[in-house]
Amino acid sequence: MYQSQYMSKLDALPLGSEEFGLVVKRVRVFPRWPLQIGVPVAATAVATLIGLVIIASTGTPLEDAVAAFWDGMAGSTFNVGASINRAVSLGFVGLGFIFANRANLTNVGGEGQLAMGGMFATAMALHGAAALPFGLAFLLPLIVGTAAGGVWGGIAGVLKARRGTNEVISTLLLTFTALPLVYWSVQSFYLLRKPLSPLSSLPESPEIPEATRLPLLFPSDQTSPLHLGLPLAILAVIVVAVVLQRGSLGLKLRAVGLNQVAARRAGIQSGSLIIIAMTVSGGLAGLAGAIMILGEQFYLTNDFSSGYGFDGLVVGLLSRGSAFGVVLGALLFGFLRSGSINMEITAHVPSAIVLICQGLIVIMIAGSAIFVERMGRR
Amino acid sequence: MTLLEISGLTKRFGSLLALDNVSLTVAEGEVHCLLGENGAGKSTLCNLVYGVYRPDSGSIALRGRPLSPKSPADALRQGIAMVHQHFSLVPTMTVIENLMLGRARPILEYSEMISRMEALDREYGFVVDPHSVVEEMSVGERQRVEIIKCLLGDPKLLVLDEPTAVLKPEETAALLSICRRLTETGKSVVLVTHKLAEIAKVADRTTVLRHGRLVETVEMAGADMRALVRSMVGRDVSSADAVLAATIGIGDAAEPETAATARPKTPVQKTAGFGDGTAALELVQLTLRGRDGVSKLDDVSLTVRRCEIVGVAGVEGNGQNELGDILAGLTTPSSGTVKVDGRDVTRATPQEITASGVGIVPEDRHAVAIASELSVAENLLLGRLDRFSRFGILNRRAMREAAAGLMRKFDVRCESPDLPMSSLSGGNQQKAVLARELSLDHLTFLLAAQPTRGLDVGAVEAVYGHIRAARDQGLGVLLISSELDELIAVSDRVVVLYRGRIVGEMPGNPANREAIGAMMSGHVPEPVHV
Repeated sequence: MYQSQYMSKLDALPLGSEEFGLVVKRVRVFPRWPLQIGVPVAATAVATLIGLVIIASTGTPLEDAVAAFWDGMAGSTFNVGASINRAVSLGFVGLGFIFANRANLTNVGGEGQLAMGGMFATAMALHGAAALPFGLAFLLPLIVGTAAGGVWGGIAGVLKARRGTNEVISTLLLTFTALPLVYWSVQSFYLLRKPLSPLSSLPESPEIPEATRLPLLFPSDQTSPLHLGLPLAILAVIVVAVVLQRGSLGLKLRAVGLNQVAARRAGIQSGSLIIIAMTVSGGLAGLAGAIMILGEQFYLTNDFSSGYGFDGLVVGLLSRGSAFGVVLGALLFGFLRSGSINMEITAHVPSAIVLICQGLIVIMIAGSAIFVERMGRR
Repeated sequence: MTLLEISGLTKRFGSLLALDNVSLTVAEGEVHCLLGENGAGKSTLCNLVYGVYRPDSGSIALRGRPLSPKSPADALRQGIAMVHQHFSLVPTMTVIENLMLGRARPILEYSEMISRMEALDREYGFVVDPHSVVEEMSVGERQRVEIIKCLLGDPKLLVLDEPTAVLKPEETAALLSICRRLTETGKSVVLVTHKLAEIAKVADRTTVLRHGRLVETVEMAGADMRALVRSMVGRDVSSADAVLAATIGIGDAAEPETAATARPKTPVQKTAGFGDGTAALELVQLTLRGRDGVSKLDDVSLTVRRCEIVGVAGVEGNGQNELGDILAGLTTPSSGTVKVDGRDVTRATPQEITASGVGIVPEDRHAVAIASELSVAENLLLGRLDRFSRFGILNRRAMREAAAGLMRKFDVRCESPDLPMSSLSGGNQQKAVLARELSLDHLTFLLAAQPTRGLDVGAVEAVYGHIRAARDQGLGVLLISSELDELIAVSDRVVVLYRGRIVGEMPGNPANREAIGAMMSGHVPEPVHV
């Protein structure tokens, strides 16, 4: 997409221009955007069809499954809202991914950063934030959650900048550290576990106070679960898009990602930029975790992150570096998740089947992206 | 007898006519040279023969049979092999392992491969240890491995794309003698180059290409070198100076005396205030030991004054790279000091070194100087983004204008500053690097390492023009080059690095060529001609 804009200029190069030897590889012969939209849409449709065949093969009546799926995605105002809330969380993680990826860093630790964000946001909400005025009751936990995720990502950044540790490995290992930390915190009474009572003995935190919960967007409408997370996400999309497309920070990140030595020679502090990129990336994932707790779940459980960090990573990958792509991917996955949960509950389609269908869609979209790329190059 | 016959070959890339109705023949047992500037269509022609591209029209015949290779593998099967400018060896593997790649059978027959290597060695005189690791080998050795790899398939025709661009003089000589021996065994060799001198020694015939068209094919016996250069460049080169002649190699090959006397000894126009000979760069007892304890640089002391170009001569691998890395702040010396304009920058970061007034044109442009996916404007202004942004948002228009200004000043030829750096030819990329480094603030010193490697004649001229202009404006310049003729023609004085030590210093006078050459190979300095 980045290259298509100067295609017309290349065509104007004079004959025998000494540049041509290298230019040829980049010449695009036909406009690519119809393909870029059309092929992924067709691919998704094909994946859905295959999914339906698999579902039919399990013996579930197809119309039941489809009805349940549709109902879960968009059957009611509440379901639409829930799907969008899911998309918000996925979107933050996806934005974080593309931010670090601009510096050619692959943050696969969204799950762990999200878990840390949720855990610290819960702690803040339970201990100290509730009494604060001016909305600080929920803002402070959001900020603390973001900071926690940022630190968790930043550790990988520092390791990369100072010691050259591969960030794929470090973020993954940090995730395997973060998830047990959450488990520990909800298992231990001296940490976040709620006191035993006759009603409940589950290892989870107490519910956070009303004041620390994210305000609903439409408080009068009892059926809409949309909360402050949505406008925050829209803001984050705009800010990340502007910084990456037009900001000097975005260009510096690209330079560091493309050629670190040259960037350093040009006076760019590559080490700090790597740390910044990983911190921001982790911070956005941490914010997603905080929003999940403060907006919907209201108490911390062992597995509250439930794969959002990994799904967000896929959203970031599919978006191919564009913030707008993250929006599309997050919405797709948010609605898919809602639909499939409902399909599992009401139509009794095994959850494994649903996961297989999701995987198919990812493969088809990624495959179609490669296909479009090849078509463009031909 | 004709081996390869190319008739009316045409290839377009989009609207660009890369090759226009080119016809030529390669005889059996012939060294055929393809001469032309960057972008003349030499590589395109080779890639058509080697099956990388398909021609739009025209035909190729091998021993009278039509040949239309669908892929390099297909071309190989038909008896055509090619060594590209960029090698395709796995650096961490040994020679023998690299040779095994691509011909892997379930069981690797190492002893058989080694005996085949030995046979080739006897026949052609490759001196390559099958068990040495590729990344520890010199460029010349790697190239010989590539050639061995080609010869394993017993090709009839061997195509070498710019084989001498990266070689030391003695390696070039070895390569050319291998070429000759290949033709003695009935194989044909196509040599692609824009350096004439070395070709004159080995080629039977030369075909000159310019802007995708065939200019002429000449027999090399008794050919007029200057006429060849004229048809390659498209204008008379008598206007060009001795540097140019040295670059293409016609100066010393044809008439060394003229080259020496014709050198325009331009008086250094010293700008007021700089002519006092203050040091731009001072190296004091610089020593760098590698991890294995071997000294890469040994007690190097050198002063580069303002308004002076100091050349560093030496066979590659004698400490030039390490010197360049230290000056760029990419390596810290084991002991000694580096002073720029009197300030100690021995342990400074690259950023601090840039800020202290050091411009660097590095040897490996792609690895160190540019991000080729970024646009020309972005590359030119990468160090000064803060000047073009407000609240963190870049002013693209101002960047474009500033970049266009620099491009005009340094004659970087490119349709738009928004094009990616990779779309520029090597020469224009190098000019862009010079433009960026020479437009730094408070510049006192410029390091240029192999600044003309792989560039065509016009670009070489421009690069040296800029370097001289920088000197005349009061900069100290350190020029590292493996091309002795260039060093002598451009430098005010030349120091010689041998095994990490400075073994001698001489004025940049053509009369000292032999003496400098001797010092490069470790001999005791001869009497100095001033």
